[in-house]
Amino acid sequence: MKHDALVAVARAVVETAGGTPVDPDYVLPADIPLELSGEAVRARLCVFQDYRGAEMAMRPDLTLPVAQREAARREAGEDGAKTYTYAARAFRIPVAPDDQLEFTQVGLERFGHEASAEADAELFALIHRAVEACGVAPSGVIMGDLAIFPAFIDALGLPGVTADLLKRAFRQEGGVRAVLDAASRPLEPEVAAVLSAADPVAALADLLSERNIPMAGGRSLGEIVEGLKARCAAIEAGGLSQAAREVLLALREVDCPLAEAAGTLSALADAHGLGAAAVSIAALKARADAILTRVPAAAQTARFRTGFGRRFTYYDGFVFEILAPGLELTQPVAAGGRYDGLLTGLSGGKVSATGIGGVVRPDRMVRVRRAGA
Amino acid sequence: MSRITIAVPSKGRLKEQTEDWLASIGHTVRQIGGERGYTAEIEGIDAEVRLLSASEIAQGLIDGSLHLGVTGEDLLHDLSPDGPVDFEVLKRLGFGGADVVVAVPQAWFDVDTMADLEAAGAAFRKAHHRRLRVATKYLRITRRYFAQKSVGEYRLVESAGATEAAPATGTADVIVDITTTGATLRANGLKVLDDGVILKSQASLTRSIRAPWSAEADAIVELLMRQPRAETKRPL
Repeated sequence: MKHDALVAVARAVVETAGGTPVDPDYVLPADIPLELSGEAVRARLCVFQDYRGAEMAMRPDLTLPVAQREAARREAGEDGAKTYTYAARAFRIPVAPDDQLEFTQVGLERFGHEASAEADAELFALIHRAVEACGVAPSGVIMGDLAIFPAFIDALGLPGVTADLLKRAFRQEGGVRAVLDAASRPLEPEVAAVLSAADPVAALADLLSERNIPMAGGRSLGEIVEGLKARCAAIEAGGLSQAAREVLLALREVDCPLAEAAGTLSALADAHGLGAAAVSIAALKARADAILTRVPAAAQTARFRTGFGRRFTYYDGFVFEILAPGLELTQPVAAGGRYDGLLTGLSGGKVSATGIGGVVRPDRMVRVRRAGA
Repeated sequence: MSRITIAVPSKGRLKEQTEDWLASIGHTVRQIGGERGYTAEIEGIDAEVRLLSASEIAQGLIDGSLHLGVTGEDLLHDLSPDGPVDFEVLKRLGFGGADVVVAVPQAWFDVDTMADLEAAGAAFRKAHHRRLRVATKYLRITRRYFAQKSVGEYRLVESAGATEAAPATGTADVIVDITTTGATLRANGLKVLDDGVILKSQASLTRSIRAPWSAEADAIVELLMRQPRAETKRPL
């Protein structure tokens, strides 16, 4: 089958979910992906300037423009669950061999449906079926759950600042290690004294004028005071205990068959008395069971990794990639996941709705089939 | 085989100091067409010599249109897509020294390290629904360094000049800029982070990795790598 025929096959499978076929805007303000995902995505983004000098980007996937449309729909007062399907072009600067800058994604995005193990499994099964319908037998499936690491952090009962820092660090390359190794520098006494003043903001303003330091940048005095408080709290809390370090480093290393994931994580939680992580682990188990029931083949191919998907910036729960023979790990033939916070982020907090989506890459499947022929 | 191409800076202190260095190893530079000429001859070296801006030299070394050149390491690092593998510094020349640094407002008493900056960035994003702005002309260096330090909570703003004024004028909150003494930063109410020195740069004789290389080129490198005459006195 040629590329376009694979697109048609995949599309027919995806459209069994119902929903509205869409082909949204090709061009987005570059602010949307960059604010959402940070500068790390810029290296892959096709950016140009319009005649006023404003930075624009070709859509790097369909999730963003579709979610933008859904956010606008909800901001206009409509609600209810909604599914969108597409077979549409996306643009990313290629990093893997043979990938093209412009390629077609076939997929779907679902908003406002109940977030459940069944919903996750249903979406995964649909995408898996689309891959199989294209004549490609997955050689591997990698799954993650971006709620697991934060659940362990919460269960450790760390001070708020440290917990927040670790949760953010988890999403950065080398971040957790950096946090574990970093030591906070104590504040100089005169600065620390600002916090014990009756009005810390006024005290900070006085200190600044005394030292002839101008205000610059977009952070207010209040924000600087909050930053000082957080830093003091972190220093007072001291470093992480040895036990906490051990559990976080062990958690990062978890990489096992999907069916064993919940057991492995439970054992780790039990060994360190982290009963509060049980809710998230139970959710993971329910999802894994539902997936293995719907897609029995995944028992052989699917693995769970704690760190997987942590850099897929807007995903916040279940994440997966489907791999195929002959392609590199960085070239999945399908991918998807849950992004319940995306609409909130896109609308600046005006609307919120659950979200989950997945796509297949016919351009890569053509290559898998050619190599297998 | 076409001739070897060497580039030297076309203006300013960097030009003078490069010419002084070449003269000190016995290779006087003579500009063709007077002060406004854009080619030159280097005594004792059989090569095509171009006078270019420091960033043109860095770009030419990276893409292979020049064999050898004298330029700042800051530009080489920033303009090379794949990092230091795109060029080879043969000799650091001891002039044109400056640091590429991360600087924040002095008023930010809560931010002394890159880790503090990450925390401030996260809080800022939560409060303002946008990321902290980092103004710089060093887009690649900044992106690499912030990733290396696990700082993701920022947006780059490309700055063409007077980067140090960006926080005061409100176009950015943080800057990445080059500084020799730090006086300009201080005058603008900024401070360098404890771990904010990204690169210690100086003018360097640099070899292109992509340019076609030959025995002829190696011989020229050997001439240029000689020590100044004062240190290697030849018998009269």
